[in-house]
Amino acid sequence: MTVVLHIEGLQKAYGDVVALRGVDLDVAPGQIVSLLGQNGAGKTTIVSIVAGLRRPDAGVVEVGGLDALSRGAEVRKQIGLAPQDLGIYPVVTVRQNLVLFGRLAGLGEAELRARIDEVAEALRITDLLERKAGTLSGGQKRRLHTGIALLHRPRLLLLDEATTGADVETRGHILELVRQLADEGSAVLYSTHYLQEVEILGAEVALLDAGRVIVRGGVRDLITAHADPVVELTFSGEIPRIDVAAKTTEDDHRLRITTADPAATLTTVLPQIPPGSLGSIEIVRPSLEAVYLTLTGRRYEEADQEAEHVAAG
Amino acid sequence: MSLRASSAISRHEFRVMFTDPSTMIFLLVMPLFMVAIMRGLFATALAAQGYEGANGSEFAVPGMAVGFAAFGVSFAGFSFFRDHGWGTWDRLRATSATSVDLIAGKVFPTVVMTVTQLGLLFVLSKPLFGFEVTGSPAATALIIIVLALSLSAFGMAITAVSRTMQQLNAIGSVGAFGMAMLGGAWVPVASMPHWAQTIAPIMPTYWAMRAFRIVILESGTVPDIVGPLLVLIGFGLVFTLLAAAKFRLEDTKAYYG
Repeated sequence: MTVVLHIEGLQKAYGDVVALRGVDLDVAPGQIVSLLGQNGAGKTTIVSIVAGLRRPDAGVVEVGGLDALSRGAEVRKQIGLAPQDLGIYPVVTVRQNLVLFGRLAGLGEAELRARIDEVAEALRITDLLERKAGTLSGGQKRRLHTGIALLHRPRLLLLDEATTGADVETRGHILELVRQLADEGSAVLYSTHYLQEVEILGAEVALLDAGRVIVRGGVRDLITAHADPVVELTFSGEIPRIDVAAKTTEDDHRLRITTADPAATLTTVLPQIPPGSLGSIEIVRPSLEAVYLTLTGRRYEEADQEAEHVAAG
Repeated sequence: MSLRASSAISRHEFRVMFTDPSTMIFLLVMPLFMVAIMRGLFATALAAQGYEGANGSEFAVPGMAVGFAAFGVSFAGFSFFRDHGWGTWDRLRATSATSVDLIAGKVFPTVVMTVTQLGLLFVLSKPLFGFEVTGSPAATALIIIVLALSLSAFGMAITAVSRTMQQLNAIGSVGAFGMAMLGGAWVPVASMPHWAQTIAPIMPTYWAMRAFRIVILESGTVPDIVGPLLVLIGFGLVFTLLAAAKFRLEDTKAYYG
């Protein structure tokens, strides 16, 4: 299979903190691969290295068959990047922002004008083109920020948490345009921690954990392969002894039972629970979240909060 | 280097610059104001040096022009810090523009601004203060261009060594004052204490003032100013080498703090 992006054995450490421990990843034309993982899993590091913003400690990165490290300028011609943090010029107009990056991407004046109109329409910012970017709302700025990345129809689109802080409408427009670009043949590497977006985009998933891709595949395939429903029982105190013929994991006051048949499992389990000790019951349906839970032993939100806590600490 | 990429960046920089022209106006109006106040004083000093009939603008105009041009050198640096603050620096780096394109695209507007500032001061000073250049206009233009390039290189060098906007401001201001005062732009070198006269030649502005003096007061032409110009170019090269050695695209430049 011809790939646009080929990553092999990618390693990166920041001092003593190891961000990537040998990442392998390929993205083909027309494919959207979603880098999924908690904060600190290495998503932004991968995107930054591919975009030429950081140098890896080891590994291979090729874009369109070109080595990204030795032929950076040629590789960057094929890339469109929307970094995690907003990057726009607030003192000039929306159009002038797009013009700068369109010119830097090598678009001719006529093509640039046409693409600005197309992208602005797709992102619903046509009426805002002559407004100073600094006067836009947060969602409108986010649309401009993303529009800059895909103005030149890059062969490889890198979106790092593209919809962070965006309202529902903005998120919808961005995802629609990303899908459209992929349909036109661009390869998309989409870093996100919103599981729902991955399902909306129908993206392939590369699940990152502790600097490694721990699983890769289509959403449905992953769910079929790794995600049985999970019955999660939260107790007010110690977890009582419960006999159940299924895989269980314990975490503080929570007991998680992975089972193909939650109803039958609950019928077996509930009579064994002493009265007053059960706080809540939750059935985590097969989804990407359940895949994450199965493979890492942690709930996705918990992992995210944990990472934020570590980062803050 | 891609002319297309660097010119796209330069055009954009001009656009950003013109959204707030107050600094440019200050750097043009303030030296004119200073010339109006100081030229009488310099007329006496020039007469004492044997330039009978000088009205003082012959020193005050190039002096104030050079001094305030030195204050403008931080401009190129500001644009780098500003891009870090706006989150656009990584975006620029992720385009096909090379490091040379980025730097050239950002520095070029500063060079143009300095040339324009100096040129306008010289032109406006003729009707306002009776300022005359007795020598070659081509030589005058050459000094202005070489000085602008040299000062812009200094601006890049201090940008390269500054990690925060405050550091850039501090180093830029001290450097500008040093160059204006010790280089003999605001006080004739002959009127400075002996120790200051000794160290004056380590300032690029000293050589610019020397070249201007030859052209303005001594009817000099291009061959007459080759010496000072070569020294000025040498300063520019040293600053450029320093900037090249210290500047890293991936360095973080803190816009605040």
